[in-house]
Amino acid sequence: MERRLVIKQILIMAGGLALLPSCLRDEGKSSILLKNISISLNEENLLAEIAETIIPRTKTPGAKQLKLHLFVLKMLDDCYEEAEQKQFVKGLSMFEDQVHDQFSKSFAKLSVHQRESMLSKLGNNSSAELAAFYKIMKEKTIDGYLNSQYVMTNLVIYELVPGRYNGYFPVKTA
Amino acid sequence: MNIDAARANTYDVIVIGSGISGGWAAKEFTEKGFKTLVLERGRDVQHIRDYPTTNKFPYEFEHLGEPALAIKKENPIVSRCYAFKEDAMHFMVKDKEHPYVQEKPFDWIRGYQVGGKSLLWARQTQRWSDFDFEGPARDDFAVDWPIRYKDIAPWYSYVEKFAGISGNRDGLPELPDGEFLPGFPLNAAEDYFKGIIKSKYASRHVISARCAHLSKPNQIHLDQGRAKCQNRTLCQRGCPFGGYFSSNASTLPWAAKTGNLTLRPFSVVESVIYDDAKGKVTGVRVVDTNTKETTEYYSRIVFVNAGALNTNLILLNSKSKRFPQGLGNDSGVLGKYVAFHNYSARITAEYDGLKQFATDGRNPAGGGYMPRFRNVFKQETNFKRGYAAGIYGSRYMERDRSAIGGTLKDNLLHGKLSPWIMGSHMMGETIPKESNFVNLSATEKDPWGIPQLNISVAYDENDELMKKDYIEQLTEMFTEAGFKNITPNVSSQAPGLDIHEMGGARMGRDPKTSILNEWNQLHSCHNVFVTDGACMTSTSTQNPSLTYMAFTARSVDYAVKAMNRGEI
Repeated sequence: MERRLVIKQILIMAGGLALLPSCLRDEGKSSILLKNISISLNEENLLAEIAETIIPRTKTPGAKQLKLHLFVLKMLDDCYEEAEQKQFVKGLSMFEDQVHDQFSKSFAKLSVHQRESMLSKLGNNSSAELAAFYKIMKEKTIDGYLNSQYVMTNLVIYELVPGRYNGYFPVKTA
Repeated sequence: MNIDAARANTYDVIVIGSGISGGWAAKEFTEKGFKTLVLERGRDVQHIRDYPTTNKFPYEFEHLGEPALAIKKENPIVSRCYAFKEDAMHFMVKDKEHPYVQEKPFDWIRGYQVGGKSLLWARQTQRWSDFDFEGPARDDFAVDWPIRYKDIAPWYSYVEKFAGISGNRDGLPELPDGEFLPGFPLNAAEDYFKGIIKSKYASRHVISARCAHLSKPNQIHLDQGRAKCQNRTLCQRGCPFGGYFSSNASTLPWAAKTGNLTLRPFSVVESVIYDDAKGKVTGVRVVDTNTKETTEYYSRIVFVNAGALNTNLILLNSKSKRFPQGLGNDSGVLGKYVAFHNYSARITAEYDGLKQFATDGRNPAGGGYMPRFRNVFKQETNFKRGYAAGIYGSRYMERDRSAIGGTLKDNLLHGKLSPWIMGSHMMGETIPKESNFVNLSATEKDPWGIPQLNISVAYDENDELMKKDYIEQLTEMFTEAGFKNITPNVSSQAPGLDIHEMGGARMGRDPKTSILNEWNQLHSCHNVFVTDGACMTSTSTQNPSLTYMAFTARSVDYAVKAMNRGEI
């Protein structure tokens, strides 16, 4: 029984990408296996809220449903220099403190307007860590979104086999 | 017992290498009834079965295609290659696995598996003309080619019909027409540029790039189990349709069908065995990469198609009493006069017109091609030879990433078409010189005990002058066409990254200054042939693979006739 449960949970889908979970019994740790960075489950949940603020659920799924924050973590873990990883983690923790200082409640409890305004300010923040954190978070959330299975099969269709080429495809000029 | 073992290891022909030229040698010999052993140093790659990424969507790659940072750091050389992405990196040699010595920086990009780099190549296929074959003699460099266009023209036709080459009959003396399947059309912006060039320059032309894709397959292609190109432009993964030519999709399965092919992967050739008593080569010595055991295989003739620089390595390492400096190297020129293509400049621009058109689907040919126009009919610049230029235009979806929330989402999903982005890259001829060479490292060995290759190849003054001219001329032509934001991009990439290394065992008439004769046969050892890039006397500007294919088919034809006459 337990084995079947483990196999069922063995892969976490993030935007279409299959990720390995972390040790299931290790509570308080991030849900996916990370090799180079350490992120707590609380931080992971905060990242999910931030990603959802960047790309919210509308008539179509948002970042949280597509688990784009896990895609961001996977990219950060494997494709960034150690210095950038450190900046990101530090920036995330600074952001958490900033939210708490300003509102005395968690980011998840803020209104959409408050969340968007908090994040928008990060882009030109004087703190290198906060700016780096937001830059990576936003860039990779967008990359993950545009390249997600959902978007590529429902909204901006990616064709694996076009079977054609038209070099004079008529388009509206406006 | 030993005689039995020797008999079991004896074939009519041994072909070293299964890439684009080795695959052709295998096809030609097996079709003519010769028992042929093809030795491949890497693993087997069966058409379709061993293309693990071929049907993957972008989101199915671990990092959307980008190799992880740890992989890039471990492989600085191959990481510089445009094709080293998650979808094709399993077809490319990792730096550490196959070390070599860089006396001067040289990015040696390799594909060690059945099919070699024919799985990964950019598939551009242009014939040479006499403006190319006569280059060294006219412009006084290297040695005169021992052949002319008329010698190879029928063999171009022969390989084109089987491989499937798309293109238009453009009627240009500097880029002879071939046996074409329909060409892939230029798009609106490329056509516009073609028109401008035609109206302003008498001897410059923009044509549809000619490429090894089945735009409209003939029966001979269907017989190979290949189908029409589906415009995926994911070729580097291996094509499940066999839409482009590779050894894996075409020549090797064709050879296997004859029943005369033995393909042995994991077989590094340590050396070619020269028998001093018999005065000829009797076979090759192979190290099995898994067991590290050494085995000898025997044959009447040997074709060396290991890839230009590895062919040099094998010949240099094949020492005997008769050939103490390496097989066929009486002249001492083996390994010297290595050249390549200068790909170190590109240029981009924007065109504001023709906004009523975009492109739909994808063009496997990549766009347009401008054959060499410098110094073609006569010397007219302060540098020797010239360059061809790739020419392409495209519009992409600009997706505004600046906002946040619902607005951002809307902007991302509803992009705006960019203006036409025009681009070109330079493909320059480089001049072979004695000072650009490869030799065997005296100290370093590879994991199989074979000396590592030492590479000493660099750009020269002529390359710099030519690059400057490319930037000037393309800037001028783009300006004439009314393009804006013209941005030259000069790269400091090392030689090698063009993946067009050539020479070292060059063809020539005189055994004192060349290694191979007009039939790609060693001057001084008549049962050994070299028909890969190592044979090239000069490089011209065309992508070389089609010429290797034609040389191979021509050379096999000669070898078979010579064997039938009892000469070999």
